[in-house]
Amino acid sequence: MGHRSSSSVGVLAAAAAGTWDRFWFTPKTARRLAVVRALAGLLGLLLAWSWAGDLVVWFGPDGIVSPQVLGAWRSPTALSLFDVARSNAALWAIFLLGVGLLGMLAVGTWTPFTAPLVAIFWASLLHRGPMLVGPADDVLAVILWCLVVGRSGDAFSVDRRLAAAEALPSWRNGLALALLRLHASVIAAAAVVAQLKADVWWNGTAAWWLSARESTRVDLTGVFAGSEIATNLVTHAIVLFEIAFAVGVWNRSTQSLVARAGLVGWPLIGLVAGEPLWGAAMAILAWACLPEDSAAGTAGRPL
Amino acid sequence: MARHHTPDRDDRRRPSGALLRPEGLSPTGPEEGAEGGLVPAAGAVPETLRGPATLLLGLYLVGLFLCVAGNTASGTSLLIGTVKDRLFAPWMVPLWLDLGHDTRLTYGLPEDADHHLEIRMAGELAGKGEGRPTAPLRFPAAGDHSERGARWRRLAAAAVLAEEDAEQAGVLPAAIGAGAFAAAGDDDLEIRIVRSVPPDYDSARSPRGTETALEVRVRRRDGELQLIPMPPAEEVAPLIDAAPAPGGGN
Repeated sequence: MGHRSSSSVGVLAAAAAGTWDRFWFTPKTARRLAVVRALAGLLGLLLAWSWAGDLVVWFGPDGIVSPQVLGAWRSPTALSLFDVARSNAALWAIFLLGVGLLGMLAVGTWTPFTAPLVAIFWASLLHRGPMLVGPADDVLAVILWCLVVGRSGDAFSVDRRLAAAEALPSWRNGLALALLRLHASVIAAAAVVAQLKADVWWNGTAAWWLSARESTRVDLTGVFAGSEIATNLVTHAIVLFEIAFAVGVWNRSTQSLVARAGLVGWPLIGLVAGEPLWGAAMAILAWACLPEDSAAGTAGRPL
Repeated sequence: MARHHTPDRDDRRRPSGALLRPEGLSPTGPEEGAEGGLVPAAGAVPETLRGPATLLLGLYLVGLFLCVAGNTASGTSLLIGTVKDRLFAPWMVPLWLDLGHDTRLTYGLPEDADHHLEIRMAGELAGKGEGRPTAPLRFPAAGDHSERGARWRRLAAAAVLAEEDAEQAGVLPAAIGAGAFAAAGDDDLEIRIVRSVPPDYDSARSPRGTETALEVRVRRRDGELQLIPMPPAEEVAPLIDAAPAPGGGN
């Protein structure tokens, strides 16, 4: 009996190990990850543009985010390449170097080197002005570190054009995509948990508070003011979508549906919430969650 | 059967003798070859890396959980905070991965409203300045819906929120003032952070209101930066005696 129970434990452990291996280490082609890389590079360029206009005003030698401000805001373990910039010229040099790297990442040039350098640049930029950082910056940072893990330059890239040999599937691509899927789910789940602490997400008026802000990109106040039902519907739809996304990406039968819905849903939520670039970043994560289609020859056992 | 260990190799290169299979069908570990031996699948994780990679993944998953649990607006337990700060923050913070991801979007609270900065020369509103008051510098500009404008709004909101923190209070307004001296052409400025408050849903047709969330005076005297809090007008308004002064008019 003891022998049987120990053998069943062994079977369970082996099954768990197999599931773990299949989820994290299944070799995948670079195509899906390459699209993530290109989109992340473009999003990074867009976000970098929003820093560029006031770069010196914020981070220059006489800028607002002075070392004293950083001392009060930043964690002691935080580091930034921009800390060594003591002049406007040095500040611009580091920034433009980073922008160039983002461009190289978008087109896939020297990707094994570019990807980690871009991730370091991005973390440095955010650490230089932590109080200026928005949710899109956060999500992009996560995506960039996931790209460091994979071999995203093996497809749709300058690297691919220049390579002599055909790129084969790699476990590193599978690992990067698995990490992206995990983060997509965690971010959606954490957003739901945060939202449901407040009354406005329960009484259905959150959509009103989002759309009535001065900074809103899409003015829906007329619609919402005229119909409380519509306001409630949009509010509850946002929460339900986030729950469905967080859970659905783990189920084989719903993964494709919620990931495709995420390609549309996240940008829409971003627009309503006044954070369109955050919506775009989440849509990139949704793309990473799409199961490989049959044409790609991926009939592996999904988790 | 003896377990075959895959030597370290470039995972792009197909090992000799490996079976060709569609992606995804390949098991991730060694598989049966045509001659009964075990050969690695194409692109599979090398056996020498599987253990370390699993260990690192496990470590990261714990760190991710602690970051989400330890960065909420509701606060965090001493246990989670201590474990995270001592074991995970030292390497997750520099990578900008110490994130709670608690994107609440809105709670309908004043702090969720849009904030903007207004900078003007000190005394202009009170009529102490010379000539007519000029329009204040406004960040972001009215109607700016860009991400750049959003960063200015975050800066303004952060300055207001920081007033509740003993270490951060006053630091940003002073820095904003010091940074604006050159642009304003004066070393004595009033910094005002204005909150644009949407109407309640019950009065949805009403226009947005504005309120002053923070107002300070920042000046430089003899090279020293001085921050002078400006209390709300109702707290400093002079008391008016209703009784007429003797022999006087009104």
